[in-house]
Amino acid sequence: MLALRDVRIGRGPCALLEHVSFEARRGEVLALMGANGVGKTTLLASIAGILPLAGGMLELDGAPIAHLDARTRATRIAFIESTSGALESLTVREAVENARYPHHRWWEWTAKESDARAVEAALGQVNVTHLASRQLATLSAGERQRVWIAVGLAQDADVLLLDEPTSHLDVRYALEVLDLARALARTGKIVIAVLHLLEEAADYADRIALLGAGGLIASGKPADVFTTPSIKRAYSVEVEVTRYAGGLAFRRNAALSREEPA
Amino acid sequence: MVARLVALAFLVPLAFAIGAAVGGAAIPPADLVAALFHPHASGDASTIVWALRIPRLCLAAAVGACLGIAGTIMQAMLRNPLVDPYLTGVSSGAGAAIAIAVTLGVALPIVPAIGFAAGLATAILVAVLARRGTGLDPERLILAGVSLSALFSAIVALVLTRLARGGSSDAILAWLAGSLVGRGWNELIAAAPYALAGTAIAFVFVPALNVLRLGERRAASLGVDVTRVQWALLAAASLLTAAAVALAGMVGFVGLIVPHLARRIVGNDLRVMLPAAALLGAALVIIADAASRSLIAPVEIPLGVLLAFIGVPAFLYLYLRGAAKAYA
Repeated sequence: MLALRDVRIGRGPCALLEHVSFEARRGEVLALMGANGVGKTTLLASIAGILPLAGGMLELDGAPIAHLDARTRATRIAFIESTSGALESLTVREAVENARYPHHRWWEWTAKESDARAVEAALGQVNVTHLASRQLATLSAGERQRVWIAVGLAQDADVLLLDEPTSHLDVRYALEVLDLARALARTGKIVIAVLHLLEEAADYADRIALLGAGGLIASGKPADVFTTPSIKRAYSVEVEVTRYAGGLAFRRNAALSREEPA
Repeated sequence: MVARLVALAFLVPLAFAIGAAVGGAAIPPADLVAALFHPHASGDASTIVWALRIPRLCLAAAVGACLGIAGTIMQAMLRNPLVDPYLTGVSSGAGAAIAIAVTLGVALPIVPAIGFAAGLATAILVAVLARRGTGLDPERLILAGVSLSALFSAIVALVLTRLARGGSSDAILAWLAGSLVGRGWNELIAAAPYALAGTAIAFVFVPALNVLRLGERRAASLGVDVTRVQWALLAAASLLTAAAVALAGMVGFVGLIVPHLARRIVGNDLRVMLPAAALLGAALVIIADAASRSLIAPVEIPLGVLLAFIGVPAFLYLYLRGAAKAYA
């Protein structure tokens, strides 16, 4: 279990987020949601240990994450984001092979058999095996996105932090990635994904953490978190939530959200 | 790819053989072989080979290997194929200090040490300017390196045009053009600790540098201590470049072109590319130095000038032809 306890992020006196507490359990997908700029990615990067916390505590299976050294942390937590900045002449396979770095001690220079297996499996899981020898520069945005997911998968961590995993993806790949996220969770991993679409989150996530107004608005099962008032607090839009047997449906209530002229 | 690296390892002895055979004084092949195997024999051939050519070949190899490794590190760390090791400000800082020292009449044997120290000091200044938080910002490093280099080049120009007289301006120009004339074992031994330290640091951090090419943030999430790796590698590149500059002055283009050649031959993996760049750099500078001694002997063409004449067309060919595709 990954637990956030009274987490505060941000620099100096003005916090981006504070008093954030929720838990992500093994076997479940947790969707991290909230308006643009609310601090979802920063929170995810803080959980990954690459940005410092301004306060509070992060625990993985009862032990503080801050106590892990960088390589050990990287074997347990994978942070998958789609921002680039990579050397464009690298091939897909070279990029994915780098994900095995934390599994090597500094004097272990050569690839092990487990490395090759993890790399091949990761390439296959997001369907980029056929692109393995292509240079990153030649890929489309969606192909790139899948390569970054493959890098995270090859890392072989049991916590997967996915920052907008479905951005740039067409409908088929978006659904496949969400299916994959859920399937990985079901194997006992902890999956936290930043999602934007309410429908996606309601369909695929077991739990939601909804951020807004500098903190956590609500967390829990989708049906409990996604209510008209909480969605309005998070996104400043009026949405009508309908419950049905299979899940939730959302419809923008135009009459309510339109400002009446004075 | 490792097989290709082994093949590259044969290039250096080959270059050595060519370098030992050519020079201002023509030595018949039989005498040359005899001299090679009898270092302490008396006779002109033995003296020329062991007192002049062999030390010079070793110097050339060291300069080439240092610049090859430093260039590879810098290009990978900054994820920029157009960067060369002089971007750290080492050569321009050393140049300005050497120009001033020579003009002030400092004894010539001390001048390389002054260049070395000033080069490292400039690298530290560039690094401090490129700092962001605790880490290094690649863009700021490039900007700081380019601007400080321009400033120090201006100082060299000022010294050359207004202050230096006769002999001292010749000495400064010789340094600017890059040359191994008059250098020997003593200079090599003095520079060796720094070159070896830089090489050792580079090899320790090569796996992390491989990962750093995915971008700083992604490398951090893969367990790389980005700040530490960046500082260590910049220190390694600066030490290697300062050692090369102290030995041979401004030998341009090796640090830029050798990483590209190495990548062409052994691929992108820095664990193989780094030793390949060292071997290629060594072989390239040995051959270029041999050519500089023999093309219009007894006059020597400055090494840096010759390398630019060979290097620029070769680089343009490689880069505009092939790399346009790779870095588009």
